[in-house]
Amino acid sequence: MAAPAIIVALGQAWLLAGLAAGVAFLLFGLDRRDAAARGAYGFRPLLLPGLVLLWPLVLWRWLEPPSPSRQPSLRRSHKRAHALLWLGLACILPAILATALALRRHDIPVPASVRIDTGPSERDE
Amino acid sequence: MSVSYRPVGWTRSKIVYDAVLIAGIGLYLAAFMRSAPRGRPAGTLLDDQSLAIKAYGSCAFLLLTLVLMIGPLARLDARFLPLLYNRRHFGVITCTVAAAHAMAVFDWYFAYSPLSPWVALFATDTTWGDLRGFPFIPFGLAAFLILLVLAATSHDFWLNFLTPPVWKSLHMSVYAAYGLAVLHVAFGAFQDARNAGLPVLVFGGSTVLVTLHLAAAWREHRLDRRGPVDATGWIAAGRIGDVPAGRGLVVPLADGSSVAIFREGDALSAISNLCAHQNGPLGEGRLRDGCVICPWHGYEYRLRDGCAPAPFTERVATYKLKLEADMILLDPKPNPLGTTVEPIAIGERGR
Ligand code: HEM
Ligand code: FES
Repeated sequence: MAAPAIIVALGQAWLLAGLAAGVAFLLFGLDRRDAAARGAYGFRPLLLPGLVLLWPLVLWRWLEPPSPSRQPSLRRSHKRAHALLWLGLACILPAILATALALRRHDIPVPASVRIDTGPSERDE
Repeated sequence: MSVSYRPVGWTRSKIVYDAVLIAGIGLYLAAFMRSAPRGRPAGTLLDDQSLAIKAYGSCAFLLLTLVLMIGPLARLDARFLPLLYNRRHFGVITCTVAAAHAMAVFDWYFAYSPLSPWVALFATDTTWGDLRGFPFIPFGLAAFLILLVLAATSHDFWLNFLTPPVWKSLHMSVYAAYGLAVLHVAFGAFQDARNAGLPVLVFGGSTVLVTLHLAAAWREHRLDRRGPVDATGWIAAGRIGDVPAGRGLVVPLADGSSVAIFREGDALSAISNLCAHQNGPLGEGRLRDGCVICPWHGYEYRLRDGCAPAPFTERVATYKLKLEADMILLDPKPNPLGTTVEPIAIGERGR
């Protein structure tokens, strides 16, 4: 099989596995896992896309024993990561854009317009 | 947990927010479709499909840029906070516009191929060795996949299910999506030198974004370095007059946590600024009957002990305060959950 076909087949397999895991979780896992879900049904279909896409994460959280109730957090996490990330982006983004501009082509041939429809056209007038 | 899930927790302000956003998108697309053909040189008229691809693509890019501006704007100026509370809908709408762009691409470039459109998507555009004509579609696809995962996990359920640290890490990947979208555009549409509006959008947008994020980070860095006023460790939180009426004074601490100081009547109290539900900013909440109401989903906490009124069970930490003239001093050590702290009276000083 050629590479593109393999990529697509892998993608399909991922989604199929996700569908099976996702439906199983909605039927058998959700109520036990999350008390706020008991008796609430309207929101369940909304969860399916995420369950399908992230099924390994779903299985991991489903099978893991429930943790005792969490302490409320006192600090906003990821603040440092944010700052470092944007320092990085401040260097990378201009580099990407400058490279792209340098490569810009001014010599793309402009094909002549050809009328391919037979009906009246307002745009070519 | 004390509330049961609903598909979408609609409130009046969310409906207005979404309506304004969708109307804005409609106006942008209509204006693009009408004006873009006129700006092009004679003989290079675009077919409607290409026009739609460009309209949706540039709209998605613009929305992604705008949604990433909300965070730092809200940190720099509290007046932008209302934009923050409904940011998730903004994200889902961005993903939808990107999906319209991708679907228009599929319908136009890949629908007439003998291969399945998906196989065709990966089979074209494979000149990886050459920067000129570098494949740009995979970048767009990767950006879209990230937006899709984020939109699909935007419901509250996911935050609880994955736990807040995992959820937040996952949602940090929106920055990767932005970088990928920049690559997608830089090596794609950018390469056509006739395209003038797009460089302005991308250059301008990324400059504004980087500046805002660095400014917000710098401001927080400076606030975080506020040290204790004396050896006992109390820190100067602000003057009595700094506590806004009906809201909290938010005091960021050196360890990254933050405290909200409230004034109700003639008394001051301090609790953690982060809601136990999803870290909503309690300092932005309204006061009612000795409780602060979280602006995000309406959880309430009593100011004196940080506990939600029965039958709810959420708790946040309280902090100790004292006054020196009109200066509010704060002990940055949180009390154990459930500790009652009597509000301190302002007396003559607050008048
Ligand atoms: C499956 C995902 C995607 C595919 C297959 C895709 C494909 C394409 C293609 C083929 C073009 C060139 C169109 C032309 O020149 O007529 C294009 C342009 C563009 N795309 Fe995407 N794209 C995807 C996702 C995205 C995302 C997520 C964004 C932004 C958030 C985006 C933003 C743009 C922009 C701004 C343009 C340039 C439009 C113009 O020429 O003015 N794309 N895309
Ligand atoms: S974060 Fe949800 S109520 Fe506070």
